[in-house]
Amino acid sequence: MSASQIFNFFICPGGIFAIFFGLVLVSLERIAVARFQGRVGPPIFQNIFDVIKLITKEVMIPKDATNRFFFLLAPVFGFAGMVAAVSVIPVAGVSSGLGANSDLIVLIYLLALPAVSHILGGSSSGSTYSAVSVSREVVLMFAYEITFIIVIFTVALAAGNGNGAVFSLQQIVDYQLTNGSFISDPRMLPALFAFLIFMLATLEVPPFHIAENDADVIKGYLMEYSGRPLALFEMTHALKLLVLITVLQIFFFPGIAANNPVANLLWYMFKSGVIVFLIALIHACMASFRVDQAFKFLLTVPVVLALASLGMVLFL
Amino acid sequence: MLLSKYATKSPWLFRINTGSCNGCDVELATTALIPRFDVERLGCKYTGSPKHADIVLITGPVTARSENYLKRMLVEIPEPRVIVAIGICAISGGVFKDSYSIRGPVDKYVDVDVNVSGCPVRPQSILDGVAKAIEIWKEKIEQFHEG
Repeated sequence: MSASQIFNFFICPGGIFAIFFGLVLVSLERIAVARFQGRVGPPIFQNIFDVIKLITKEVMIPKDATNRFFFLLAPVFGFAGMVAAVSVIPVAGVSSGLGANSDLIVLIYLLALPAVSHILGGSSSGSTYSAVSVSREVVLMFAYEITFIIVIFTVALAAGNGNGAVFSLQQIVDYQLTNGSFISDPRMLPALFAFLIFMLATLEVPPFHIAENDADVIKGYLMEYSGRPLALFEMTHALKLLVLITVLQIFFFPGIAANNPVANLLWYMFKSGVIVFLIALIHACMASFRVDQAFKFLLTVPVVLALASLGMVLFL
Repeated sequence: MLLSKYATKSPWLFRINTGSCNGCDVELATTALIPRFDVERLGCKYTGSPKHADIVLITGPVTARSENYLKRMLVEIPEPRVIVAIGICAISGGVFKDSYSIRGPVDKYVDVDVNVSGCPVRPQSILDGVAKAIEIWKEKIEQFHEG
């Protein structure tokens, strides 16, 4: 590993920068939702304060936890997966990620890890609310992963441009920088919408706010967590938001502002903020699906959109 | 201490209703804290799980039916925590004091840190109570980490 890769992994754009920026993005989403609802909203560093607060709290392990070891291991699992994902993905014009040849395939597995950690932690906590929430999460996972995989193959084929598929994220970025972003390609627009729906479902933003819906399962899989494990879950959520936003930019609009890494980083942060406002707008407008409605919706609308894109990329 | 300074910017509120007439709960949940005065700007947010609670708002005079639930709930709230009794019922039993079905007040089961009186409480006094609770919470965090 070279010095620049270590810097990228620990400081920027991975590691410390990613955790802080992810937490700020989550707070930004909360502020935007509050403004849409006519409230003032929390301060911009609220989620960082939340994490600091959770570090000072007592860690409680429920007496009837079915497996104490997995109960404490689960948050580490998801967090490690997301830290790895941040180090894999490139940021256009700033860093080139790990530069592995097929990091897109790695990303499919890493992005499933937070959901797996929710399932692992929730099912070993012994709470009935967690059990209900975990069964919902599994159902949703089956539905949204299909969309993600079809979108990935669509983007890989489009970046290959007739010469097979490209599974390297850096090469996808380079292809778009020379040939124009995929967002300006009409064949890719259905895939963009499918990916946005996948993002909402993975992040559990309304209308897919099912597995941790306050109204019926209270906190769901987080019900029995307190203190540091909960802080890890909060940071995992922030990193997941950041990773999904970065992947969205890599797939559809990785355009860079200048030949300067600092300018590119600021441009990347600006684009991320705009996407977060879009998510917040949907969050504020929508009510939540029931789990069966969400399952049907996710198996039809985004899959058909993604398949339409795949077909156009293959045959047009 | 730096840690407690930043930690107290994120108080998560948890409500326990021990058989209140709902007057105080309406003030807490709908009129006072969320839409009108928006406590989220202080970093507060309502949580559904007792394991996430920092500031516990207890309403009601503790009826015979809710006594067991209150005891079980209080065990599940992690330290450092602050208990706030909301409304005269939670403080002393109010008009229900010495009634056959009342086991309260809340003081019997847990050390109450802040009393917010009123029937029902005024939104402004709830906000004042939460602000006082945050100051007490700060001291408790420091004590908790010293020993």
